[in-house]
Amino acid sequence: MSFKINKYDKSRAMFDRAEKVIPSGVYGHLGPAEGCFIPVDSFPLFGEKAQGTYFWDVDGNKFIDYMCAYGPNVLGYCDEDVNAAAFEQSKTGDCTTSPSVKMVELAELLVDTVKSADWAFFAKNGGDTTTLAIMTARAATHRKKIVFINGFYHGVAPWTQKLGYPGVLEEDVANNLYINWNDFAAFEKVVAENEGEIAAYIATPYMHGNFKDNELPADGYWQKVRKLCTEKGIVLIVDDVRCGWRLDIAGSDHFYGFEADLICFCKALANGWNVSALCGKDWLKSAVSGVTYTGSYWMSAVPFAAAIACINKMKKLNVPAMFRKNALMLTDGLRAAAANNGFNLVVSGEPALFYLRIADADNNLMLHQEWVAECVKRGIFITNHHNHFMNAAMTPDDFKQTIDVAEEAFKILRKNHPEL
Amino acid sequence: MVDQKTLAYINMYAVLGTLENLCALDPAAGALLKNKKPISIGFEVKGGPSATLTFKNGKCRMEQGVGDCDIKLPFGSCEKFNGLLDGTVTPIPTKGFTHIGFLLKDFQALTDLLTKYMRPDPADLEDEDFFIISTSLMFYTITVAIAQIANNDDVGIFTAKLIADGDIEMSIAGGPAATLRAKNGRMVTIKCAPENPRAVMRFSSMKLARDLFDGKVNAVASIGAGKISMKGMISMLDNLNRLLDRVALYLA
Repeated sequence: MSFKINKYDKSRAMFDRAEKVIPSGVYGHLGPAEGCFIPVDSFPLFGEKAQGTYFWDVDGNKFIDYMCAYGPNVLGYCDEDVNAAAFEQSKTGDCTTSPSVKMVELAELLVDTVKSADWAFFAKNGGDTTTLAIMTARAATHRKKIVFINGFYHGVAPWTQKLGYPGVLEEDVANNLYINWNDFAAFEKVVAENEGEIAAYIATPYMHGNFKDNELPADGYWQKVRKLCTEKGIVLIVDDVRCGWRLDIAGSDHFYGFEADLICFCKALANGWNVSALCGKDWLKSAVSGVTYTGSYWMSAVPFAAAIACINKMKKLNVPAMFRKNALMLTDGLRAAAANNGFNLVVSGEPALFYLRIADADNNLMLHQEWVAECVKRGIFITNHHNHFMNAAMTPDDFKQTIDVAEEAFKILRKNHPEL
Repeated sequence: MVDQKTLAYINMYAVLGTLENLCALDPAAGALLKNKKPISIGFEVKGGPSATLTFKNGKCRMEQGVGDCDIKLPFGSCEKFNGLLDGTVTPIPTKGFTHIGFLLKDFQALTDLLTKYMRPDPADLEDEDFFIISTSLMFYTITVAIAQIANNDDVGIFTAKLIADGDIEMSIAGGPAATLRAKNGRMVTIKCAPENPRAVMRFSSMKLARDLFDGKVNAVASIGAGKISMKGMISMLDNLNRLLDRVALYLA
């Protein structure tokens, strides 16, 4: 069958309007530059509504959404249970002078749910929690240096960016040390070279960097890192902002068989309601208590109520198991569609956050970008540079339609590239 | 902060090196060299770059080293060489005294012409031919400067190490193109499009390129507006843009 090709006239008109009053029209990861909309006219620029696993753009085009707002949509957009809890809380108070008891209830739920958590500290975005984790580690150890994994992403605060990025000073990143993922020998070396100076090691549960196949931890990697951190008094920080809740309700450190000292959550925590949390071990509770860190909306009760409902529903549905099963069904189908047309679609990372790449001899992603654009034009929202996300509202019918569209897009690719 | 050594490399290869393109693009430059014997000028900078400009048959070519030049201009430091470009240092040749007339007259006229295009009077840009030549020369200067920053400037070196090996195409639709070749954390610019790029950044028009070079529009905003197209290894372009940002620091 032949699928409808989307038109984006209203999106473009809205973007032209936006450009006049908003830098870059849409800045950041949802925008066409950072979002790698290649070519830009294949992608919607503004949405109108969202429900379940779908969103509709301002032109009325419907998409099966595999980006899930880059992670927050874990149960389905506008999930009725989560929204009911949020709306109910909004009747009695949200941003108030005295924080709501919902804050305590959510902290208790996190401590009972996340294996490595003895306490929880709330903020708004993932980057708030990674920054707090670094400050806490420095406060606890009285050391400056932080070990990062090359290709990392821990937010947008200056310390998380790289030398040469606009607005980032040499001093902002002067205490950053860089090693490669899964290279424990490199970690040992950098620890030896900076004996007594390293405050923390920070990493995501596995390497889910952009533009490249995602890489799971080598056997025993995390256990060796844990042991060395303990021996050397280095705070082990897991940035679980992206993976959190999709691999393991008890935390991705639990999934890989170790315990972090500090673990950062956001995205799926409240199904799109704005709250993030840093959880940690008891021995760091005093240090984090002393860090000056707060924000106007960080103790708002509505997102806390949403998070409680979201966590309880994720537990009830056992979303990690659901996502693994569904993602394998989907990605097996996508791989087969590629193979039917003579392409090799490489699927990497954990299934719940699968990363796609068409293998090509030139190793330049251009073929993959073409295929992604053909899929998006036909209502399957995937990206060419980033991992994808599963949500609990996806159905086998969605997967079938996705695979059918993918097959059509592969056929177009084959037709456009007779030389391959 | 401007690093004098990096600036010297930029002045040598990106600024003086653009004389190659000036002679190719502007008939007036070619006319200055008409009926002249081939001649070469070597610039030797202590602790910095050394290169020779050869003028032959109305064309100009830059090559590394000063081994076989007719006129040799030594500079005791990068700062002194940079002084030549900003007009505060007068060079004294150690070789080629009989060719001093070319240096003082023809070469000076060529560099004056280059300055006219590189720091144009706004009124001159109203002329379409002038606008195209000026923008093309800026394009070559900037693309070559990117590689010099990648290889010499401390921040640039850090950024260049993050760029995967391969060719990046930077081009203007209907205008000039360049290859920025990355290998092992170092870069070189070739003044033509690559055959097999790993990443492409293409400006939709000379007008857009000009506005970008002049800092009137931003690359990120232009991507959204569809005025800059990109494809391939976007991480290479991301880091290339970091280098491009630093060009303004040196060439402002």
